[in-house]
Amino acid sequence: MDVFNQLIYDFAAWVDTHQWSTALHESFYVYNWIESTHVVALTLSLGMLFLIDLRMLGLAMADIPASTLARRLSLPMFLGFTVMIITGLLLFYAIPVRSAQSLWLRIKLVLLFAAAINAWLFHRRLRTAGQSWDTAVKAPVRLQVGASLSITFWVLIVICGRLIAYDWFDCRAEPSSFIATLAGCIADQEQF
Amino acid sequence: MRTIRLLALMLLPLAALYSWQAKGHHAFSAEFDKEAPVSLEGVVTKVEWINPHAWIHLDVTGEDGSTVAWMVEGGTPNTLLRGGVNKNSVPIGTSIKVRGYQAKDKRCVPACKANGRDLTFSDGRKVFMGSSGTGAPKDGSDPRDRR
Repeated sequence: MDVFNQLIYDFAAWVDTHQWSTALHESFYVYNWIESTHVVALTLSLGMLFLIDLRMLGLAMADIPASTLARRLSLPMFLGFTVMIITGLLLFYAIPVRSAQSLWLRIKLVLLFAAAINAWLFHRRLRTAGQSWDTAVKAPVRLQVGASLSITFWVLIVICGRLIAYDWFDCRAEPSSFIATLAGCIADQEQF
Repeated sequence: MRTIRLLALMLLPLAALYSWQAKGHHAFSAEFDKEAPVSLEGVVTKVEWINPHAWIHLDVTGEDGSTVAWMVEGGTPNTLLRGGVNKNSVPIGTSIKVRGYQAKDKRCVPACKANGRDLTFSDGRKVFMGSSGTGAPKDGSDPRDRR
């Protein structure tokens, strides 16, 4: 874990030496625009995603065939995801060291990975599930499980993202050694 | 009936998030103690003019001659610019006075931490250095409070 944390810290400290990273970090407008765009794009992507998930659970637009709804909403959903990923990477680029050592960002990335695997499984099940249930109120149970997990993961991801703003577990505040290891704090590090 | 269930389902987390988000970048009360106002006079040792919050570090010398390091959180570089200060307004070595509220975490690691409300220069010029709408006490330091 220490080697892993050192690697991440070295990478983040290297990103921090970039002139553009510093410029974003100190910018008067661009950082704020990126941060706002990140949150606004969330309403688009998660708005669409949750509608698809709720349709599978029979809680939204049950009178529309599930496959039709999923097909129509995926384009705006992926547009939103693309904007979120780009702005998210830029937010990291602006504040690399603190972000790389944020306990919340680390939990968020694990959850994002889980959500991605879940989405991949969901789509595989969707393809193999056939069309027989398409007009039914609820999707087959396996798809309902995937939809519920998707909502759960994303709610937690948004909460973790929100919590990155708080500095309770920042390395600068010298948290307990357990938290420090999880957050990736390096002994005697010079940058925060 | 289904519509009502759906609405309730969607509104609950939204309401929870809203009450949280409504308080600016981060809620004042999550990190700072409104019962612990501080007035710090000291010399600037370091300035971090960064998003989402600027930090001014200063050494405060007490009556007994001992020096305590403080770091005071301000608004965004944009808010501060509009308030009348930029990175060059507080060069290292400047004597300033800052009023604000100490952090709930009073361990003072690596320095005592506070949320800055107003900043007074040695020539008497005073600027608001906080963010509006964070839930900080309405102590008259924020010119927007009166609107």
